[in-house]
Parts: sequence; C-alpha cells; structure tokens
Amino acid sequence: MILHRLVRLAVVLLVVTFLSYVLLNLLPGDPTTQILGLSATEEARAQLRQELGLDQPLLIRYAAWLGDLLTGDFGTSYITRLPVAEELAERLPVTLELLVVAQAVALGLAIPVGVAAARRAGRALDQVLTAVSFALLSTPVFVLGVLLILVFAVTWRLLPATGWTPLSVDVGWNLTSVLLPAVTLGCGQLAVYARLLRTDLIATLQEDYITLARARGLSPRRILWRHALRPSAISLVTAVGLNLGALIGGTVIIETLFGLPGVGRLIVDSIFSRDYLTVQGSVVLISVGYVLVNFAVDLVYAAVDPRIRRA
Amino acid sequence: MRRRLGPVFWIAAAWITLVLAAAVLADLLPLPRFDETLAGPPQAGPSGAHPFGTDGLGRDVFSRVVYGARVSLGVGIGAVLLGLLIGAPLGIVAGYRRRAADALIMAVTDIALAFPALVFALAVVAFAGASLRNVLLVLGVLGVPAWTRLIRGATLSVAQREFVLAARALGARERRILWREIVPNVTVPAASYAFIGMAIAVVAEGSLAFLGLSVQAPTPTWGGLINEGRTVMDNAPHVVLAPSIVMFLTVLSFNVVGDRLRALTDVRESGLEPVRQVTAAPLPAATHAIKAGLLQVEDLRTHFVVGRGTVKAVDGVSLTLERGRTLAVVGESGSGKSMLIRSILGLLPGGDVVRGGKVYLEGEDLTAFTPEQMRQVLGPRLATVFQDPMTALNPVRSIGTQVAEPLQVHRGMSRRQALAEAVRLLASVGIPDPERMLRRYPHQLSGGMRQRVTIAMALSCGPDVLFADEPTTALDVTIQDQVLRLVHRLRGERDMAVLLVSHDLSVVAEWADEVIVMYAGKVVERGPTAEVLERARMPYTEALLQAVPKLTDPAHHRLRVITGRPPDLAALPGGCAFHPRCPYAGDRCAVEEPPLVAGSADHLYACWHPRGAEATIIEGAETRGR
Repeated sequence: MILHRLVRLAVVLLVVTFLSYVLLNLLPGDPTTQILGLSATEEARAQLRQELGLDQPLLIRYAAWLGDLLTGDFGTSYITRLPVAEELAERLPVTLELLVVAQAVALGLAIPVGVAAARRAGRALDQVLTAVSFALLSTPVFVLGVLLILVFAVTWRLLPATGWTPLSVDVGWNLTSVLLPAVTLGCGQLAVYARLLRTDLIATLQEDYITLARARGLSPRRILWRHALRPSAISLVTAVGLNLGALIGGTVIIETLFGLPGVGRLIVDSIFSRDYLTVQGSVVLISVGYVLVNFAVDLVYAAVDPRIRRA
Repeated sequence: MRRRLGPVFWIAAAWITLVLAAAVLADLLPLPRFDETLAGPPQAGPSGAHPFGTDGLGRDVFSRVVYGARVSLGVGIGAVLLGLLIGAPLGIVAGYRRRAADALIMAVTDIALAFPALVFALAVVAFAGASLRNVLLVLGVLGVPAWTRLIRGATLSVAQREFVLAARALGARERRILWREIVPNVTVPAASYAFIGMAIAVVAEGSLAFLGLSVQAPTPTWGGLINEGRTVMDNAPHVVLAPSIVMFLTVLSFNVVGDRLRALTDVRESGLEPVRQVTAAPLPAATHAIKAGLLQVEDLRTHFVVGRGTVKAVDGVSLTLERGRTLAVVGESGSGKSMLIRSILGLLPGGDVVRGGKVYLEGEDLTAFTPEQMRQVLGPRLATVFQDPMTALNPVRSIGTQVAEPLQVHRGMSRRQALAEAVRLLASVGIPDPERMLRRYPHQLSGGMRQRVTIAMALSCGPDVLFADEPTTALDVTIQDQVLRLVHRLRGERDMAVLLVSHDLSVVAEWADEVIVMYAGKVVERGPTAEVLERARMPYTEALLQAVPKLTDPAHHRLRVITGRPPDLAALPGGCAFHPRCPYAGDRCAVEEPPLVAGSADHLYACWHPRGAEATIIEGAETRGR
C-alpha cells in the first residue's frame, strides 16, 4: 500500500516537473536578452547559450536539471547568480510560518463555529454563521487584505501594513508582522472549514450511537466534543491538507500585498525578471509540498478514523 | 421554482444583470471616459457628479469600475465557457465509458491538481504577454480539470440509473442516450458550477490584475483598480473601497446563484431548512393513581407536528413494569414501539414534538425532571440497547473508552478503575479475552460481539430497567438466541426489569412474562404472554400470530400476511384504526373507537368484535389461507 503510494507520488512529481520545465521553455522570451540586454550581438548570445547549456535539446537539459535536482542542486539563477536552493531555503520559513499561523487561526475559529452552528442547525445563530461564512468565502483575498489594512493599519494604526521581522530577530515583532497576513489568509479557509464541519456534524448527530450516548445520560457538551467531532472530521482533514498544499503557491498575493519576503514573492519577482531556474525550482518545491502534504493527510486519516487503519 | 430559489437568489441575479448591462452599455452611458484625467478634482470623495469619487489623477472612479467590469465579466464568462467546452465532453466520456478513458482522464486531472495553477498562470501571462486573450485562455484551460471532474461525477451517477441502463439494454444508439438521457441530467449541476466557476475566474483575473499581469493600462480592471487605490489609502480610501465592494458583491452574487441552483437538486440540505416552531399545548394526562411499582407509564402521548398534520406516534399508552419481569411490546413497523421507548426516556428530537402523559420511576415523575436531572437517571437507572449493533457504537472510539465512559461519568471512577470494571462487564456478557477487547474498535468485531458490548455498556451502571429495542433483529438466528438468553440471565442476576420491543412473536413467547400489542400508537391488547398468544381477542393480534411462518407449514405454502397497509399516522381512519384491514369489522368499528376493556382478570383488549374461542381463530385462519 505504502509502496504503491510512493510510486504514484514519484510519477506525479516526474510529470509535474517535466510539464513545468517544458512549458516554461516553450513560452516566448529569451533568457539571454534578460542577461545581456537587447543590444547584445548574436555571437555573444550564442556563446552565453553554450555556457548555460541552452543549446542542448530540451529533453537533455531536463534530464540534467532533474539529475541535479535529486542531489539538492536547483541550479544557479541566471539573473542573481545565486544558487536557487539557497534562495528558496531563505524564503521558505516565511511562507511556512504564514501558512501555519493562517491554518491555526482558521481551525481555531472554524471548529467552535462549526460546532455551534451544527448544534443549533436551522436556528438564528446557524443562519447568521452560515451567511457570514458565505460572505467570507466570496471575498477575494486581496480585497479582504486591503480592507484589513485599511482598518487595522491605516485607521487604527494597531499593526504594520507591510514588512517582515524574522522570528530569530524579535518574537513580538514577528508576531505583529505575521498576524494581519495570516488572518487575511485564514478567513477564507475559516469559512470553508466551518461549513464542512457543520454539514458533517449534522449528519453525525443523527447517528444511533449519538442517541445512545444521550440514553446513557451524557451531557450535550460531552457528546458533541468527544463523540461527534472526531467522526465528523474526515472532510475537514482533507480540506486542510488540500489547502496547505495549494496555498504554498497561493500565498503569492498575500506576500505581495503585505511585502513579505516569502516563496510567493520570490516567484512573482523571478517571473518578472525571467529568472527561469528560480521559477522552475519554486514550482518543484510547491508541487513536492502539495504531494507530500496529501501523503501526510492519509496518515492523519488513520489517526482520526480507526476504520481506515486496516486498509 | 421561484419560491424555492428564494429572494436572495433574485437579488443576486439582479445584481449580476445590472453589472453585466453596465459593462455592455458602458459606451452609451453618460459617463466621463475612464482615462479622462481631471474629470473632477483629484482624490475627491463621492459626490453627485462622481458617485464613487475621483482618483489621484482626477479620473472618475465610477466610470473606471464600470469599464473594469468589461474585463472581469468578460474573462469570467469566457473562461467558464472555454472550460466547459473542453471539460464537459471529457467528463461525459470518462463517466459514461469508464475503464481506460476514465482512468486516463482522471490521472491527468490528478496531476493537474498537483500543479500550482496560479504560478503557472502568472508565468504564462508574464512570458506570453498580458492581454485579455492570454488571460482568458489560461484561466479557461486551468478550469478544465475541475469541469471534467464535476461532469464525470454527474454523468456517473446518471449513467448507473435504471432509465439509462434500460435504454442501453434496449440497444438505443449511444449518441441518442447521451443527448436524450445524460445531457439533460447533467445540465443543472453544470449550470450551478458555471456560476461558481465565474466567481472563481473573476477572482483569479482580479489576482492577476492585482499583480499587474492582466490587461494592461490604460484599460481599467478591478484588480488593477484595487492595487492602484491602495497607494492612496491614507487620504482617499474611497478609491480602493469602491472597486473592492463592487467586486465583492459580484463574486458573492455569482456564488449565491450557483449555490441556490445546486440546492434545487440537493434533497439533503432541505431537511435542515428552519422548521416553523409549533407551540402546541401540552397534552394533559388522564387522572390516575401513582402506584408503588418500579416503572409506571400513564397515558403517554408523543405527537409530531408535520406539514400534513399531527402524527400520533404514541397515543395514550399506559403500562407498569416490576423488577424481575420482562414486558414485550409487539406490533408492525411504524406501530410506535420504538417511539414508545424514546418517549419514556425523553430522547425525542427537539422542536416540533409534543409529549404528554406521565412516567414514574419508583413514584418519581420523570416528565417533570430537568435535562440535568434526567441525565442522572439515564444510564444509572434506565438503560437502552438498540436494534442495530453496527450503528450503535461510535466507530472512532475504542471499546474500552466507550464501556468505561458511563462509569467515569456516573460513578465518578478514575479511568483505570473504570477500565478494570469494563473488563469485568465484558466478561459477564460472555466476551472472550476482555482485556484485549478494550483496545479494539467496533469495525473489528462481529455483529453478535458488538451487541454484547452494547449490552455491557447499558448494564455498566447497574440499571433498574433495561429497554431493549429489537436487540436481535439485526443478528444471525444462532446469535439471536444467545443474546436473548444473556439478557434473560442478567435480568435474574441483577433483579432488573426488561422492556423488550420485538416483532418476532417466537422471541416474545419464549422470553416475555407479559405482552403489549400496539397498533397505530395505541395499545390494542395487553396481558400475560401465554394468555395473549393462545387466546388473542383482538383481530390484529390474531393476524400477527397467523403471519408467523410455522415449521409445520407445507414447503410451498403461501405466506400469510396481514392484508392492507399499515395506517398513515398523520391521517388515521375514524373509529378503530384497524377496521379497514379487519375481516370482522362491523359498522360500529368505523364510527366509534373501542376502549381497552378487561376480558379476564389481567387480559385487556380494545375491540368491538373480540375473537372468542380458539376454534374461531383456526377457522378464520383457514378461510384466509385459501
């Protein structure tokens, strides 16, 4: 089973890296123009191409790049002349911290909200919560970010609008700089998670074993949190996994809006500067992250639901 | 249709129409050009001439938002159509053909989902040029996997239905089946997702524009306007707020329309629609004396208020139960047996239920208890076992946790003590190797073992009364007897009373001391088991007895059934509820309801034409048998 999954994982990664490599190379634009400028002579360009290995056939270049990749060598950027791996390693912690705090915010609010809504399904509180999460779901992340900046940074001046303080420099400042972007990112997820949990909880609460738990004189609070929550969490776990994976690429907007030096910002910058190898490296990182997170989610399933352990 | 979509749907649809009309007719509207600088004073707030104010260059924000809608809606609609045109045929083929085509298409969409879509879109637009055409193409293609999955799912569910299988079996041409049967059924989910997809595309285009990678200046786009506006957020917040709010409302409207269309086909959700709370007066109980016995139920009523009227699930049931006795409740499905148990225990769904009558436990009125007081009784004094052991245990909690829990809650035991007690309990219900059992999960157990576990849980706090709702119906015949024998033994050991609900008269004959026969929520006959089974007075009881197949019946003997259908509880016939199905019914039966009267000392029945001697029963059976 595990072996089967690992093979599948390898195939998906191979296809994704190949596609991204080929697609990026097929797109119009010439890296030599970016490096040497428009006025460079054709000989200089040809020489540079040879130097960079760009005169080789696409498949050979892909194979060489993939070989290096497996040894952890993401190549050296044509533009900045820095190893791509180093650049990514520097940016990744920022993005990861943003993701983790955003998920913590989203889950920390979604679970109580989902439980409260399910417990009073169809009543006023449930309808209000459902409407609010629907509205949140329909707010583009940059619109929400702009509004939050307008309120918390511009009007009330409580939090910085942009900028980043690494965790290693100052914990307090780090938290203030991650809070607004993380809340912006987390709000959309919050809505998704709360809706999922509400729906599944309502279904679980109709089960015989819940009625029997009531027949054993257990309190509603205990039944909700200890009996009903875990069997209702499968969709939630799936969604968290998918989001964590997908968001590694989805922080582009947030990082741009809040001026965070993360992977997303790096991608935008390198796309604008035609820094192919950095874009390639980021795409690989994101795809690997997505696939690995989904792999991990399957393991979490087993922890949540013992029926899956057997498989 | 209109009513079910709801007013919110129509408001959302109106907003989309309005924005769409403004975008299409922008050139005809009396607006300043979107790129006309100094159309008004720079950074001026909203006014009559400039409803959304002006930006830093004095351009009219309203006009820019209207022209921006052209790009946003153009990309939204265009990308959805493109995704649909490519994705729908693929999805239909994958869902209808299955096998190789399906596997291939699904593998490709799997990979596509692992591909960072937004990054890809950024790269393509950046390298190929930021134009309306490129943005539209990229977002359209990126939407294909989602469309393929959706259409495949919808096709799959339709392709397996009877009418399509029938058409296939009749040799209908494939293309004909696709067009006549599948396409119409896929239309509603597709229409619903089209609007959700437009919301996604509008947001995606906005994201690209926000990064400066959509249609280039001077053409305004919503994302671009928001990006520009945030630089002057300090002095002129309206410049960023106007496009933000319009964009939010538009995305919200697309989502609302999509969601309401989906709800049209989704039956599951409708059960959660808010129900009108009916404030029915509590049903008064008939006057009665409180006896000294263990459990006394007096004139218990449970009525559900539904759209069609009032369902009288339990209608005036009285019974008494003593320690060391087993009372059986029999009747067809829907006769109110299970609801009687839930009603006694107060385990009714909230809202539109009216309960009346009294339940006394050793003289204490349980119907006057608060939920908190009731929880002290449920478990320690009144315990329950349900019909289906497959659904009675929580699938994600270990057996040990589940059996130990009531002990911890009600008896204040530590977890260690409770687990030790759980081992003892599991052993007492005949579970081999109980220590190992503690760590196992319900799915690892057979049905019989699970039912033993639920019995152990029910008995954990030493209850006075065990309510067993068809405890063996879901089990193999060989296990049934073991479980009932166990319940009987435990009843003796613990000096409990058992209320056994069953439709199996052979079970009742073997284990019950007394029997209650229920029909349409009412007690129609009651008495000592042997007396009732041998000398049934009520024709319904007689019919139930005759419906039991006997070993002495010839091999191809026609199974005797009770004629007619169980009654509609929301619209019961007048008089005796059984009269439309009763072979002995007279004129009086349709008019006047028979009271429960005593035939002999403790044998009661409700019938105007009670069956007399055994001879008539056999005679009746033979008449019906032919």
